[in-house]
Amino acid sequence: MIWRTLFYVLGTVGGLGICILLLPSRLPGTTLVGYGTNWLLIWLVGWSLHRPVPIAVGAGICLGLLQDSLVLPPDAGIFPSHSLGLALSGGLTAMLQKQRYMQEDFISVALIVFGMAVITETVNALQRSFIGMEVVQVWSDHQRIALSSAVLTSLWSPACYFPLSQLRHWFYRSTKKLTQN
Amino acid sequence: MAQIQKWWLRYGWQLGLVCVGIYFALMLRLQHSMVISEVYEFFSRPFQVSRPELLENARIQELQYRITELENQNAKLQQILNLPQSKINSTQWAPIIGRSGDAWWQEVLIGKGKNQGISIGDLVEGEGGLVGRVINVGESSSQVLLISDSSSQVGIMVSRSRVMGILRGKNQGTGIVEFFVRDGDVKTGDIVVTSPMSSLFPPGIPVGKVRSVDINKQPAPEAVVEFLAPLGLLEYVRVSKL
Repeated sequence: MIWRTLFYVLGTVGGLGICILLLPSRLPGTTLVGYGTNWLLIWLVGWSLHRPVPIAVGAGICLGLLQDSLVLPPDAGIFPSHSLGLALSGGLTAMLQKQRYMQEDFISVALIVFGMAVITETVNALQRSFIGMEVVQVWSDHQRIALSSAVLTSLWSPACYFPLSQLRHWFYRSTKKLTQN
Repeated sequence: MAQIQKWWLRYGWQLGLVCVGIYFALMLRLQHSMVISEVYEFFSRPFQVSRPELLENARIQELQYRITELENQNAKLQQILNLPQSKINSTQWAPIIGRSGDAWWQEVLIGKGKNQGISIGDLVEGEGGLVGRVINVGESSSQVLLISDSSSQVGIMVSRSRVMGILRGKNQGTGIVEFFVRDGDVKTGDIVVTSPMSSLFPPGIPVGKVRSVDINKQPAPEAVVEFLAPLGLLEYVRVSKL
């Protein structure tokens, strides 16, 4: 049992590690008009679907800080942080599942990812406007970034979501079998 | 109470895991750590193509010799005129191993760091002209802020008429120059180089070409500048110590 749990946790965290390392890479087919895929968001949506809201929000904050440490220049302040957008996306995803609006299949996950990508980029744009960057420029960038990020990220979502959901199913099936025996 | 206990029993370990995650992520962020880039550099090492022929290409070598000759002449002339010398000490080539981790920042990761003698503030040039500046270094990778980022500001000068201004990034291919004077002589097609007033960059490095000029813009005229270096396509950059 311990080994199974360990394998499950390591598999999930390892998947997150791969997603983080994919962020700066621009593999063929993972870019659209120069922008990359938001792999962290796919992982977050996959993780948050079956989790309570506080845990999903916590995971969002954690992933946002990781992305900050990869992207933000050292002399930048705490904001604009990716934590806010990802925390909101995680929380909303967890709520969606609670309300049973969404089934668990590729199409719905891709749809959720599409929506959450738009929300995440909007929160980023809002933060940039609040810290005093040029508003017109930020929102004209936002249109391009939000659309391309949403399309690309939702298209790639099955590639990241499928292995993680299979791992999760395997873990819960095997633990159920053990408790029944 | 029983419900809370049940929730705790079911999700307590996950909550703990998330808290530990937040703690470590916060530590990474606060120490401006390059751990993730370092790990990325390690895994991407087998895929980095070393291309010595890029530098050994006969035509490029010929041009480089000519440039060296012209630079030497120029340095001599400047010495005669008692102008301040440019301060570049040593240069080395570095491969670009990654791009920015999100869509808002215009950055690249290069595959050389402290171990190869790169430090914060180093000048980064590519084929074509100015690329950016090193803003964070790890053991064997560094983060470069491109001139196309909207937070980057470069003091520039129009090569033909010596009019000065400040260049901000707009998107991957273009930037916007705000000029200091109202009636500066700027035309479409003018070449823009770094200005002698710039504290971050040495003077005279080619930056871009003026694509359009808006003379009536308030409070100062503005020009859209096309970067000479193809920032989205670069594979190698030259890093120079200042």
